[in-house]
Amino acid sequence: MNSNVAKRPVGHKRSYYAAIMIIFFLLLCVSIIASLVFGSRSVTLDDLMAGLFLSSSDSYAAAVVSERIPRTVFSLLCGGALGVSGALMQAVTRNPLADPSILGVNTGASLFVVIGIAFFNISTAGQYIWLSIVGAVLTAIIVYGIGSMGRTGNTPLKLVLAGAATSAILSSLISAIMLPRSFVMDQFRFWQVGSVGAANWDFIVIFLPFLVSGILLAFIMAPSLNALLLGDEIATGQGVRTGLLTLVSAFTGVILCGAVTALAGPIGFIGLLATHLMRLIFGPDLRLIIPMSAISGASILTIADVLGRLIGSPGEVEAGIITAFIGAPVLILLATKLKVRSL
Amino acid sequence: MMKSTHKLQTELIVAGYESKKILHGIDVVIPNNQVNVIIGPNACGKSTLLKTMARLIKPIAGDVILDGKSIHKIPPKKLAKVLGVLPQSPVAPEGISVADLVGRGRFPHQSLLSGWSEKDYQAVEEAMDMMGITELANRHLDELSGGQRQRVWIAMALAQQTDILFLDEPTTFLDITYQVEILDLLTDLNRKYGTTIVMVLHDINLAARYADYIFALRKGELIAEGRPSEIITDELIKEIFELNCTVIEDPVSKSPMIVPRGRYHVFT
Repeated sequence: MNSNVAKRPVGHKRSYYAAIMIIFFLLLCVSIIASLVFGSRSVTLDDLMAGLFLSSSDSYAAAVVSERIPRTVFSLLCGGALGVSGALMQAVTRNPLADPSILGVNTGASLFVVIGIAFFNISTAGQYIWLSIVGAVLTAIIVYGIGSMGRTGNTPLKLVLAGAATSAILSSLISAIMLPRSFVMDQFRFWQVGSVGAANWDFIVIFLPFLVSGILLAFIMAPSLNALLLGDEIATGQGVRTGLLTLVSAFTGVILCGAVTALAGPIGFIGLLATHLMRLIFGPDLRLIIPMSAISGASILTIADVLGRLIGSPGEVEAGIITAFIGAPVLILLATKLKVRSL
Repeated sequence: MMKSTHKLQTELIVAGYESKKILHGIDVVIPNNQVNVIIGPNACGKSTLLKTMARLIKPIAGDVILDGKSIHKIPPKKLAKVLGVLPQSPVAPEGISVADLVGRGRFPHQSLLSGWSEKDYQAVEEAMDMMGITELANRHLDELSGGQRQRVWIAMALAQQTDILFLDEPTTFLDITYQVEILDLLTDLNRKYGTTIVMVLHDINLAARYADYIFALRKGELIAEGRPSEIITDELIKEIFELNCTVIEDPVSKSPMIVPRGRYHVFT
């Protein structure tokens, strides 16, 4: 028997993985600092320290920093949630192109919130979240249904097309509801293009339980989802309750993105970008991809938010615009090299 | 050689769809520690029978009983330590390495927090060694030939360390060389560990050579079962496949071998 340790399936790349993880952790730290420092009014590192650690500091710059803290925390949480949501959607649909925005799920979530605001006078973040989740779940069901129609069943590209078409319809409905209400356009604009700019601590407190339970569930399901990637039959043969697993993980993915959309609007492509980067590095192991997608998603969204502030200065460009600018070309690139079976 | 003591049997399995039933009440007991092969023409239900026994399909009526208990009432992960299954054309995630894929076979033996134990590593190494793929451990599955890939999949099933292993046409799409190689490896597995093998094979002559026990199906019914030398006759082949043939002795294995008779090239 060959007992060569170098050939052991897990562990032979431990140090390599650890190095990559440290790099991403550093990247995360850099994005946090950048988010606190840059903006329409950039501050010095001294101001940063004062804003962070001296609650009594009365300098203007320190106040700017402490105002940026909730925004930074919020964008980290949203990015993490979207990263995990994308990883779950890709695993469940066995579709490397799946992502909350590409499948239209967060546009559906957004539409429901807009309807709620326009016709039912909802106004609290708690109400937003529940409406948004209902919208996300319904859209996911519809898109999956459309994508599975026809003789070929559900193929990655069909699902993406179904998502794009559904998303186009839903966005036009959002516009139709918004346009006659131009007096609230500013409040509404957020629902067309996502942004983390409206963040405050209340948002974070409301959002946190969804995020924590969603990510926890995703971690727990990761090993079983690994088995599911080998097909329903092999997963069943390995003792996975495939029906239950598919349902719970799809639901978890949809709820995570629904909760984000409720508070940040439809921010696109984070799931796609975060997971692909991780899959390139770690291979198809969801026990690594899921947690690392949370970290890379958080970094990507936070950096996108910082870029938006810098580019749009003295105002700002919504983070959702930046992520779409980066994400759409990546989607095209991935779609062109997509084989019939992938993932 | 370890002897498995599990008893697997079916009780009047009816499977398929309400409108179109594929199996019409199959009652079989799977002989232990044997290489069992299911044969029959296309669409006779052989694959459905295999999948039903391997709990991939839930029967409409009847049940599959393992050690006196319905397999659908045994906790799935516990069952997965006894019954392993390799479907016909499994798909692997892009870019997965050989060792990683074989390692996935350990899933039923691991819990969320347990991680990889020494036993897991040993099982994987042993499975790869047995299938002769140790050298390929760090290669990507996509880079391998069909025969190599099939050995990797079997190694994954092997790493699961089940006493009973189901395989749905493990030799399809392979060149004759690899077909023989795969069947030899499965026989190794049976001889070395006493693993009960249940598989569907298309080629009757390979089935007759490699099987200890054969189940012959036609239109969802069991027509015959037994040792190849006892049941493979001109009449049985005529009944099952509607094919005229002469059964002779395989000069290599002394098992029965069918020689089909078509409308041409017949000199008698």
